[in-house]
Amino acid sequence: MRFPYKGYAGKILRVDLTSGKIREVNTPKEWARKYLGGDGMAARLLWEEVGPGVNPLGPDNKLIVATGPVTGTIWHTSGRVVAVSKSPLTGIWGEAHSGGHFGPEIKYAGYDMIVVEGASSKPVYLSIYDGKVEIRDASHLWGKDTYETTEMIREELGDPAVQVASIGQAGENLVKYAAIITNYHDAFGRTGMGAVMGSKRLKAIAVRGFGAVEVAHPDEFYEFALEGHRRVLESDQAMELRRFGTPMLVAVKQAIGELPTKNHWVGVFDRYHSIDAETLREKYWVATKSCFGCSTACKKKHLVRAGEFAGTFTGGPEYEAVFAFGSSAMCDNLPAILRLNLLCNKYGVDVISAGKTMSFVMELFEKGILTKDDTGGFELRWGDYHAMLEALDMIVFRKGFGDLMAEGVRAMAQRIGRGAEKYAMHVKGLEISGQDGRAHRSAGLTHAVSARGADHMRSLVTVDQLAYWDTARERFGEDKVEGVVNGYSEAYKGLAVKMHEDAYAVRDSLIVCWYTVGWPPIFWMDDFARLAYLVTGEEAFKDVREMWVIGERINNLKRAFNVRLGITRRDDTLPERFTKEPMPAGPAKGQVVNLDVMLDEYYTLRGWDLKTGLPTREKLVELGLEDVAAELERLGKLPRSERPPEGEGGVGEAG
Amino acid sequence: MVEGVQNLLVIDPDKCTGCRICEEACSFHHYGEFNPRRSYIQVLRNDFEGVFIPMTCQHCGKPLCVEACPTGALYQFGNAVFLDKSKCIECKQCLNACPFGGIQVDPVTFQVVKCDLCGGDPQCARRCPTGAIKWVRADQVGYQKKVDGAQRSARLISLIVPQG
Repeated sequence: MRFPYKGYAGKILRVDLTSGKIREVNTPKEWARKYLGGDGMAARLLWEEVGPGVNPLGPDNKLIVATGPVTGTIWHTSGRVVAVSKSPLTGIWGEAHSGGHFGPEIKYAGYDMIVVEGASSKPVYLSIYDGKVEIRDASHLWGKDTYETTEMIREELGDPAVQVASIGQAGENLVKYAAIITNYHDAFGRTGMGAVMGSKRLKAIAVRGFGAVEVAHPDEFYEFALEGHRRVLESDQAMELRRFGTPMLVAVKQAIGELPTKNHWVGVFDRYHSIDAETLREKYWVATKSCFGCSTACKKKHLVRAGEFAGTFTGGPEYEAVFAFGSSAMCDNLPAILRLNLLCNKYGVDVISAGKTMSFVMELFEKGILTKDDTGGFELRWGDYHAMLEALDMIVFRKGFGDLMAEGVRAMAQRIGRGAEKYAMHVKGLEISGQDGRAHRSAGLTHAVSARGADHMRSLVTVDQLAYWDTARERFGEDKVEGVVNGYSEAYKGLAVKMHEDAYAVRDSLIVCWYTVGWPPIFWMDDFARLAYLVTGEEAFKDVREMWVIGERINNLKRAFNVRLGITRRDDTLPERFTKEPMPAGPAKGQVVNLDVMLDEYYTLRGWDLKTGLPTREKLVELGLEDVAAELERLGKLPRSERPPEGEGGVGEAG
Repeated sequence: MVEGVQNLLVIDPDKCTGCRICEEACSFHHYGEFNPRRSYIQVLRNDFEGVFIPMTCQHCGKPLCVEACPTGALYQFGNAVFLDKSKCIECKQCLNACPFGGIQVDPVTFQVVKCDLCGGDPQCARRCPTGAIKWVRADQVGYQKKVDGAQRSARLISLIVPQG
């Protein structure tokens, strides 16, 4: 039977590496209707199949690679794909998104999702080629980096167009923040998805498909997609992004005092110009590349032509790598940052967690909490990029002190003790990305409440930070716009984060890119509603209110997944640095985050219990998640004194 | 009747970013679905180096495919080469003759297909977001290439200037 909605492939590929069994199952229609695809569908599957007792690095954990109904069409940024699993770094919900060409290839191969479970006794890779699915031996690939692996698999399968998602040595060695790399330079970066693959001895997934993606209303969809591309091409900011890529944020963030420097101590870096996009473009740029179906083309390739790191050729870095290895580590040597970025791609490492781990160690050395005696003679000081390169090598191969650094900052702080926790910049175990709540209040709340920990992708609001008055007015109304746009005020940030979290959940399920949705603000929920309807044919999706419900449903389900693992309001927090240490310098000087008022507003709007942060039965039932409510109740994870969610009154008094 | 065949498809790999919107537009225009494998234009990609070369029928002035065709199914019109399916016997001689892969076999129907310039409004050129594929009047191509070539030289200069 054909799948009732267009846009979907209608099949899920299930691979059990323990038994070697491969099977195809139908994509449940109800999942498409309730969760759209991508992130949402993967959340449903993970909720159902990965219970609280599962060891993230054990055979019972599952790696889900999911596409959405829009993936592989001509819609702008239709090349996105998500990997979901229980995270070995954080122990809770883990997800990482990648661009490139890997996602569409899965759709053309006839699958909405690939689910890998079990663990192989020897290294293997999964090959999906023109309808033929095989688990192939990867003994000869084990120990190779992602570049070598990609090339060897393409050669072996005799087709250079095969899309390969692989792990490098970091994933093999179960570095807790190992990434999965596709196409040399694109990454499923965060929450250690590469370690999950490594634990299953799954070296790579190689896909080449020869099928089509059909849409429900082809002509209208095509016209709408072309209009979408036009809107992007007419956006000065999108074209600026094409010229400079995401590193253009370095100068932007410096100007507003939100360029995390010295392990998030301050938001300005006096030598920022050495690492900003202008320098990068002028001295190192060689090529521009886009992901599948994208008119923006923000991906850059850079080459170091002279000096110590001559010959370093890398895709990227993105802004997050520049901040993590640059300002956060007080390093102004751009060629060294390019080198570190290249090695992270080859070894398969999350640049944010790696950079933040290094700057954490630097601060511990500065404060005297760590000495050479603790590290076997290894020393990491601010800006010492030679030591950073050595540290990366130690992490990836778990050499000496690197064995501990490979565990991430939360585990390190626990092991080191002596007050190290104060300098461990993480939320729920995930290292904090390149924002600072003191200069950008909604980012503080985003870091605190995001399902995967200190996340910048699932709800980051930019209309406040970059003062998009018109967009803010449209989204929040005239009465709230002034409060929303003030980045130094807590006012309405609960509302803003909740709204963006729900919208981005839809975005991540369709799936389309953060860019041109999050920033610049080009596509929003009305567009998604029309898009989802035209692609799938489901009439209910036409109504934008349905999109909001789906977004909220997905976020509640992810929350429930975390709540089942013990997450409560206590975990929705920030390091003291943001809540107690006033920003020492720059435009945001003197600012701190008053997290509690934002949390109160956020939980109230979410309809969750204020005291515990647990979703209420009413909210879950309202969203059609009765079974989730029942399961949480069985585990004693529903709020004790149930009361109806509070009304709108009082919301926005947070300032 | 095909309009606009005094034009040429001008492809500049230097501007291509490998997004493959041309493949999607082509496949949609001809088959109503999104399947890059059915597209008459294919972006050959070296994702590692960031080099992308869109390849399609060159619409040669002295087309070997037309010479190889025993039934006259392939024919020239203006600056372009077209395929009349009603005369085609699927012998695939044209496939062998073409040095550029401009003729291909459709992966679904297994019949010979080729670029038909979308009836005079090639969708690949119209939808290309970077100007890598252009639909230009033949007598203006030389000038356009001069402009592009000059820009390329300018970039080369920046490549060899020693870093200060």
